[in-house]
Amino acid sequence: MGLLDSEQGKRRLLTVEIPVIERYNEGRDPEFRIRVAPVGGTLVLRYRLKPGHNIYDLETRLLSSYPTVPPETRVLTLLKHCPHLLEGQTLCMWRQGSTRAASRWDPARFSSVFAVQAAWRWLACYEVWHESGEWPLPEAK
Amino acid sequence: MDFRPLTEVERRNLVTALRGNADTGLALLMDRRNTSFLGATEEVTDEEVINAIRSVPCHY
Repeated sequence: MGLLDSEQGKRRLLTVEIPVIERYNEGRDPEFRIRVAPVGGTLVLRYRLKPGHNIYDLETRLLSSYPTVPPETRVLTLLKHCPHLLEGQTLCMWRQGSTRAASRWDPARFSSVFAVQAAWRWLACYEVWHESGEWPLPEAK
Repeated sequence: MDFRPLTEVERRNLVTALRGNADTGLALLMDRRNTSFLGATEEVTDEEVINAIRSVPCHY
């Protein structure tokens, strides 16, 4: 089900994704708002986050298989290589095969703004790791 | 990017909040305007829910 190419996807876009993004943007400084753009068959969210003193540019891609498959988020601002960072500065956030529910993306419970919040928490960990060399949260099994 | 590090106190506060979030479900609060870290809390009002990071799934 693609958000842009099926009735079910369009319904999710209009009733879940767009309202929650609009709510996220309320009262937000313009440069920190989420901007949404269609790119090919995918929807791309572009935004900025500032968990500490540094500002990071990011993009989250909602692929045609979203929301069954979790969104992909990458940081556009250059980072130092660190744990939980994949090729192309994509953030490693979910393990769909995990037996631990909190490690899995659940399309029934989460929207694209959860991916933005997860990216914020990832960047907060990165800010700690950058100075201490230690990722502040233990890895779940 | 010229990386500007957290101070020792800021880092300690952030680590405590992150671990509270992972261990006991404490909500991390983002500033509504620019997403900077505001602190952690047990109670989140409906007004703040979009800026409160609580039950976000993650494998670490």
